[in-house]
Amino acid sequence: MKDVQHLLRVAVIFIAAFAGFLFVRNLLVPESFGKLGHYRADSVDEFAAQPRHYAGEPACKKCHAQQASDKAKSSHKGISCESCHGALLAHAENPKSADNKPRKPKEAEVRAFCGHCHAKSLSRPARFPQIDVTAHNPDAPCSMCHQPHQPK
Amino acid sequence: MKNFSRKDFLKTAAGAAFLMATRAFSSPVQAAEKFFREPPWKRKKPYYGYAVDTTKCIGCARCVEACKTENDVPREKFYFRTWVERYILRRSGEVNVDSPNGGLDGYLPPADPETVTKSFFVPKLCNHCEHSPCVQVCPVGATFLTEDGVVLVDKKYCIGCRYCIQACPYGSRFFNPVTHTADKCTLCYHRIKKGLKPACVEVCPTGTRMFGDLSDPKSAITKFYETENVMVLKPHMGTGAKVVYKGLDKEVR
Repeated sequence: MKDVQHLLRVAVIFIAAFAGFLFVRNLLVPESFGKLGHYRADSVDEFAAQPRHYAGEPACKKCHAQQASDKAKSSHKGISCESCHGALLAHAENPKSADNKPRKPKEAEVRAFCGHCHAKSLSRPARFPQIDVTAHNPDAPCSMCHQPHQPK
Repeated sequence: MKNFSRKDFLKTAAGAAFLMATRAFSSPVQAAEKFFREPPWKRKKPYYGYAVDTTKCIGCARCVEACKTENDVPREKFYFRTWVERYILRRSGEVNVDSPNGGLDGYLPPADPETVTKSFFVPKLCNHCEHSPCVQVCPVGATFLTEDGVVLVDKKYCIGCRYCIQACPYGSRFFNPVTHTADKCTLCYHRIKKGLKPACVEVCPTGTRMFGDLSDPKSAITKFYETENVMVLKPHMGTGAKVVYKGLDKEVR
């Protein structure tokens, strides 16, 4: 018995160290880690809970049915409302508030705004309607002739 | 035990060497050939996919704007979850690529337009790879591929070591100066889980960007994957990129 005592002492130290390791590991590793894979499963739900800013077109249609139906018949039919008017979830949730009004370019800005898509560019697909912004009625705002919800 | 002769030894050794050689040569090829680990329709539903039709892109960068707004991405230059590159190919064989402020600042007309043979836009974003290099190098398990096929970065678990930013062959990741973690496209996980489209797809005016469920054989995205001539970026990297591009030019990197 005397001969194995030193082995027992080492064994006790090992077991204590292992228990300590398990205890610390338990404290450090998040509960959901490893549930679905080598990651924290709760983080997936945290991503899903992130707040939104864009409402999506169905929300716009609830109040702006006329504009939506005009647009649906025009060549702008594939374009979402928020593509031009900006992120509008706050507006959809609280339409009366003056802080979150939809973006509408002022007359002076219209040419630059429409030009985002329609200014002539070598890199754009040739079939896409483009105009030379400097040559095409340079002093008139686009909206004087072209209705953005029913462009012609 | 039977006597193991020199002849037997040589035979076994030759056989083992042959097996090892064939394994070594065949496995990377198989990995590159196999687009998905298993077909999407056998996956747990849903399984998300993304497609870009470069023949439709007009470089308006509404997607870049929407992405920054929807995900509160820092407004400074160089922090992008998605951006639009313009390629200019010249008769001399020279290729110019630019993306001023991700496309938000607009593109200046190219110098010497008469030497330009062709020019086009290529929207870029995280490819949500099946065999993501970024996931493989993360030392703490902070970045991962979800069951529905989206690569995410756990902001609470990321230690900000930037390994993944180095590992991504597409440059899709950046170091977020606010959270001090790696950051990238989440396919707007908070939107797609509510049945909405990612913000970039929502605002794209030309239908260049498409998003959908690959596990549904009747979805528009599955149809696009199956019927169009599509390609992924850097296929030789064997990343199993899930974002497919239609009309990709050979010069696109």
